[in-house]
Amino acid sequence: MNWLDSLATNSEFIRDRIIPIFRYVRRNRLMLIGIGAFLALTLFVGISYLFYEQEDLLGETRGVNGLVRAASVQANQRPSWNPWSGYPLGTDLQGRDIYAAVVVGIPLSLRIGLIAAAIGVGVGMLLAFVAAYLGGVVDAVIRTVVDSLIPIPGLLVLVLVATSLNPGQGLSVDQLAFVIAVLAWPGPARVIRSQVLVIRERGYVEMARMSGTGALGIIFREMMPNLAPYALASFVAAVSGSILASIGVESLGLGPLDSPTLGSMIYWNIFNSSVLLGLWYWLLPPIVVLITLFVGLFMISAGLDEVANPRLRRRV
Amino acid sequence: MPWRYMAGRLLMFVVTIWMASTIVFFLPRLSGQNPLAEKIYQDAQRGGYQDPAVEERVRVFEQKYGFDRPLWEQYVKFVGDVVQFDLGRSIYQWPKSVNEILAEKIMWTLSMGLLTLVLAFLIGSTMGALLEWKRNNWGLMVAMAPILAISAVPFFIFGLVLQLLVFNVNREFPMVYGFKQGVIGWPDWSDWEFVLSVLKHGILPAMSITLVSLGGWAMGMRGMMVTTKGEDYMVQAEAKGLPERIMLTKYAIRNSLLPQVTGLTLALGLIVSGVVLVEIVFGYPGVGGQLLQAVRSNDYPTTQGIVFVLAFGTAAATLVLDLTYPLLDPRIKSGGS
Repeated sequence: MNWLDSLATNSEFIRDRIIPIFRYVRRNRLMLIGIGAFLALTLFVGISYLFYEQEDLLGETRGVNGLVRAASVQANQRPSWNPWSGYPLGTDLQGRDIYAAVVVGIPLSLRIGLIAAAIGVGVGMLLAFVAAYLGGVVDAVIRTVVDSLIPIPGLLVLVLVATSLNPGQGLSVDQLAFVIAVLAWPGPARVIRSQVLVIRERGYVEMARMSGTGALGIIFREMMPNLAPYALASFVAAVSGSILASIGVESLGLGPLDSPTLGSMIYWNIFNSSVLLGLWYWLLPPIVVLITLFVGLFMISAGLDEVANPRLRRRV
Repeated sequence: MPWRYMAGRLLMFVVTIWMASTIVFFLPRLSGQNPLAEKIYQDAQRGGYQDPAVEERVRVFEQKYGFDRPLWEQYVKFVGDVVQFDLGRSIYQWPKSVNEILAEKIMWTLSMGLLTLVLAFLIGSTMGALLEWKRNNWGLMVAMAPILAISAVPFFIFGLVLQLLVFNVNREFPMVYGFKQGVIGWPDWSDWEFVLSVLKHGILPAMSITLVSLGGWAMGMRGMMVTTKGEDYMVQAEAKGLPERIMLTKYAIRNSLLPQVTGLTLALGLIVSGVVLVEIVFGYPGVGGQLLQAVRSNDYPTTQGIVFVLAFGTAAATLVLDLTYPLLDPRIKSGGS
């Protein structure tokens, strides 16, 4: 409590807006664990980027990024797991340092998730406001499109998009993110639309309308702050969903095969049937990272649900 | 009968099918490639001598596939054919029709998807209901912890974990493919040994989908049970002195189950996507591997056919669920929202 209070004396904004969030997160254990897992991954990547070095093929010392670019740290050597030899997670079939590949892969996969989710939630939110505000035919059309997209298995559509964009060569990391974004909007649009409909009828919105606030003023000053927890929850869910979708597309070999995203590491593992070859140390690192990532994001979004939906709060 | 509700659902089904066929038609054509000509050139080169009539052959085949017509005409014909389940012929596996390819594979995928969905729904919902009903039951809570933890993990990633585990424990246990080796062509389903091998091979893929989905159903059910337990009719049931078993099954579970059924419709698409990936991980003989091959070889008709049939299956299942919903919830029947 001490350091929180000492911070609080500095500014009114921190005291009234930020500190309560910290206090709340401390009680919301799910969110705490989720954020903890996320921070742990970030720290792992950051520290490795700063300090991890290894000699590559040419005998030059390189950091993680350089190691991965060089594609191989050892030529013509069998895949090996020998944590005491200087490669903490061993080397894969191509002689690549698995540790370096994982460290480079985490931010790449997160980047795909963040870009796709940002586009998805942005478009979804826009559609939700348009639908809820204009109502009538526009609302009916948007709702029908969103509802009829739901039974179509998303991965299959993404597979079609990915193959038609760049057949045979695989996509770049950012291209893949845009492909994932193609189907990232219906979910957020659905959730946020129903919330907009609820919030629109609240007293304070009525109040603002009667005192002559314009539509934009109502949306941004009255409704947005109250929508924030829902928007944030659906953003986190969208990040998790987008990473899931990207891993799926990549595991079919349609992703950026030259960049070691977590998904393409999984693809190469499936492609080379590493399990049957006994190369468990190649498969395990991306899987452990992915499980940490998904469980962390899931807990954060469950925690945010609790913020958005106070009825659940009693059970903490 | 709630005619308005049913008409709305039917319309939604038609829109979904139309959207699926449109997506499936236009997306591959955006790439601007000509897989048919590519395949013919490839085959022509394989012969070892230059076929002088290769251009002519491309033209003939394009006519056969209707690729020489204007786009809108192809589109209208495609949608017309597809709703009659005429999915055309494969390019890569010419002269096999896509229907023939699907006929071999689709039942594996659909039965795996349906089985795992039903299993996960029943077990998960029961667990969730009991979790809330018997508060502070340590056995249940200990069992739930790992199930909840893995519920955020993708099916096929968990499948890989299972493979790793089983490989290091018992190498004899079947981990890849769908049945015993040495079966060629249409399998003989009256052969006991074969059926047994199918079941054995199905265990790991089915487990990787079912175990992962349990958590979601359990949490949804638990949340609904919390709400239901606070309702007045529950208090009344207790005051009447109804046996606990009846209170649980006829009152609490029955009323909590409705939103779960709605969740079922939302989960269908996810399950199908998941099954496709799990099949690829386990080399299961469903459409997953076929899709992978079709995508790699630019075999548009097959890719289109697989995606369309899976989308159709999910949409049809959604429709069936939606239409049975009024039977479960009489409020829809009487016209309420």
